[in-house]
Amino acid sequence: MCPSMRAVLSRRTVLDRLLGAWAAGVVGSILYPVARYLVPPDVPEAATATVSGGSAASLAPNSGRIVPFGSAPVLLVRTPAGELRAFSATCTHLDCTVQYRPDLEHVWCACHNGHYDLEGRNIAGPPPRPLTPFDINLNGDEIVISRRA
Amino acid sequence: MSARLRAWVEARVPMQALIDAMRHKTVPLHRYSLWYYFGGMTLFLFGIQVGTGALLLLYYRPSASEAYESVQFIMARVPFGWLVRSIHAWAANLMVGCALLHLVSVVFLQAYRPPREITWVSGVLLLTLTLAFGFSGYLLPWNELAFFATRVGTDLAEAVPAAGDFIVRFMRGGDDVTGATLTRMFGVHVAILPAITTVLVALHLLLVQAHGMSLPPSIERMAREQGRRVRSIPFLPHFVLRDLFAWTIVLALLAALSAFYPWQLGTKADPFAPAPAGIRPEWYFLWMFESLKYMPATIAGISGELVALIGFVLCGILVLLLPFLVGHREHARRRVRWVAMFVIAFVAVMTMIALRIPGEGQP
Amino acid sequence: MLSGIVVLCSVAAMSAQTSRQAAEDAVRSDVHGSSGITCADCHAGQRTETAPPRTDVARLCARCHSDPAYMRRFDPQVRVDQFAQYLTSVHGEQMRKGETRVATCSDCHGAHGITRVRDSRSPVAPANVAQTCARCHGDAKRMGAFGRNETPVADWSASVHATALLKRGDASAPTCSTCHGSHGARPPGVTEIANVCSQCHVREADLFRASPKKSIFESIGQAECLVCHGNHKIERPSDAWISIKGDAVCAVCHDEQVKGASTIIAVHQGLEGLSNAVASADRTLTRAERAGMLVEDGRFSLREARDHLIDARVTVHAFAEAPFTAVVSEGVAAAKRAEQTGDQALRELQYRRRGLTIALVVIVGFLAALWLKIRSLPTPD
Repeated sequence: MCPSMRAVLSRRTVLDRLLGAWAAGVVGSILYPVARYLVPPDVPEAATATVSGGSAASLAPNSGRIVPFGSAPVLLVRTPAGELRAFSATCTHLDCTVQYRPDLEHVWCACHNGHYDLEGRNIAGPPPRPLTPFDINLNGDEIVISRRA
Repeated sequence: MSARLRAWVEARVPMQALIDAMRHKTVPLHRYSLWYYFGGMTLFLFGIQVGTGALLLLYYRPSASEAYESVQFIMARVPFGWLVRSIHAWAANLMVGCALLHLVSVVFLQAYRPPREITWVSGVLLLTLTLAFGFSGYLLPWNELAFFATRVGTDLAEAVPAAGDFIVRFMRGGDDVTGATLTRMFGVHVAILPAITTVLVALHLLLVQAHGMSLPPSIERMAREQGRRVRSIPFLPHFVLRDLFAWTIVLALLAALSAFYPWQLGTKADPFAPAPAGIRPEWYFLWMFESLKYMPATIAGISGELVALIGFVLCGILVLLLPFLVGHREHARRRVRWVAMFVIAFVAVMTMIALRIPGEGQP
Repeated sequence: MLSGIVVLCSVAAMSAQTSRQAAEDAVRSDVHGSSGITCADCHAGQRTETAPPRTDVARLCARCHSDPAYMRRFDPQVRVDQFAQYLTSVHGEQMRKGETRVATCSDCHGAHGITRVRDSRSPVAPANVAQTCARCHGDAKRMGAFGRNETPVADWSASVHATALLKRGDASAPTCSTCHGSHGARPPGVTEIANVCSQCHVREADLFRASPKKSIFESIGQAECLVCHGNHKIERPSDAWISIKGDAVCAVCHDEQVKGASTIIAVHQGLEGLSNAVASADRTLTRAERAGMLVEDGRFSLREARDHLIDARVTVHAFAEAPFTAVVSEGVAAAKRAEQTGDQALRELQYRRRGLTIALVVIVGFLAALWLKIRSLPTPD
């Protein structure tokens, strides 16, 4: 084989190798996102129907804590009798965030002195409607809060 | 691959005849050759839709209470979910555009003339299926825009006398747009339409291979006058590599669009809320939507909407049967090009007018 | 002439008969009539067209409405102390002295056609109370006769409470009777104002009562909440009130020399800092949302920060730096968390665009190599 022909052939091989390398790059940049997509994320499903309320053991009787449900707050309460309750923590009067008052043993809104009982019913002050209740289930020690259907 | 391995495979899966046919296939090279790429481009985009669609199916939930949230989940929590979803949405629009360009090029290059009439018919049906894909898929995220656009779109069928109510119920899965509509559109979008499309695409490709690429009459004439054959390039590898080039550009375009103009999700559909201002269908339906607005309430006692509907259907039938009407007559085919230009201008003007009115829309 | 007199008399008799007819119709369907009470029960011993003298009206109503055994028959829960309260009111006191130009039962409740207070047509339903009081208290001549002005009702109508009650339909918002009492109406005393406001504004009142301001205001005879907030024309307070400069509310008494200047400056800065932090976080989150990113956690933190801002504005009433700065710093921390979420989302967007650029570089490289390959193919004939 004469030298120029060899040169032509080797140029072609270089080009093919180059093409192959870049093609592999393109295929890789397609397969990488697909592979990552196929692996399920840490939170395996949309957290709009249910949310974790933390540990049940860490919620003492006659106490409450606020848990985020998406962008809205939910008030998780353990009644003095030991039952778990969950309500929307948005006051039905002017949207302030309510709190659990251990001294009153019920729910209270600091903005205009609104009071709600342990069923979420508005019992005194300006609030015109009860707090929306949420369902609670226990997954071992984990409290699972979900919207009522 | 070693010869023995090839022989082993060939004895069990005979492909050599197909490969030889591909090797011998040529594609004409002339000033209009660029238009040959649009059919394959549409097929490529369909492939992308099937791929991204299958990926979306892994996380999407087709119920009124979960659809929106599942799409939100895909976009926010699934790694590269935003990319898959945006590509699916953008490629849908590009595919409709490509299919339309393919149709327009076939009309102007008169590729529908005998013996390619059935190819044309299958192609027009494929275009209709593509629009149906767009309409059914649009509702699936169950967002405000899609909900009301679907309601308005299916309302149109009410204008049909006698069967109107039945058609509307059939499309909606009930009297109004509800979760039943979502489920129905979902089944249509992921099972029924793909099945029909696969069959028609197979037919369309088979016929294109059987007949070879059509030559525009002017090119044929020029070749005849100059006394030589039209230049052509081999399908493998010349045309295929050029096809790959074009497809890669489209891939890059899709990636860029997804990163710089991600497809918005909007707000969740609320059937009891009033329709927001600026509800309109996707861009490829806008011309119909806009021209309906200019119809008078009644024409000779018949509702204006029904007249327009009949008009659209008649035009559709004419398009479907085009090769049978003018296939053999060169003069008529040349006239068809003027008609086509008028139709394109009308559709373009109507679409632009509809877009001028500010509305909530996609990027 | 005689016929004219006859006509006149019969017209007068007819109009008297018409108003009597109207009264009878009204009573038949009102709260008294539907309980079986008749005209004679109130108008006994007179010709039924005559109204009882104004000084006697309250005692007349009290005959039944202060009798627990009698009232229990109609409503076991109804109160029977209205007359006793009325006697303690300014209206009641004046009426006892024989001054008939003040309100008595029928002026507010009506005489015929009386509906329950909770009926929205009643002149003493919460949304209508101010209008009823305004009949006298908004009338310059009537008020002038007692040496008072007629501005309270107009002032109240411009307040946030009026907007809440009349525009938003918030029935819990205070109207005249809420703060002044209804039957026992009299303005609250200087040291009682905080008690009245604290019915709803509990925390502000508690903080005020525990603060040095309470005894200071008492000693200079200033009426607690009124000093800064006004009594009738209570408008939305602004953070700009808290300053020792210009026409700020604090500046009315405080300047650089008066004790408390540093506290005022610190509180003003704290509020400004927190509301700026909240506004900045809101802007960042909105930018991220517009770009298609989901920032729910950030919105939750922003809500927390806004809660702290409200809390900070309440804690102003402690008139001390320590509790106030504690609330402000928690609020700023929450706002920072919200801003961080927004920044993270925007960084993710940048990361995506960088990833895309890399992918594009790879693709362009591939296209270049492909182009060269296509060019290198043997030219077809």
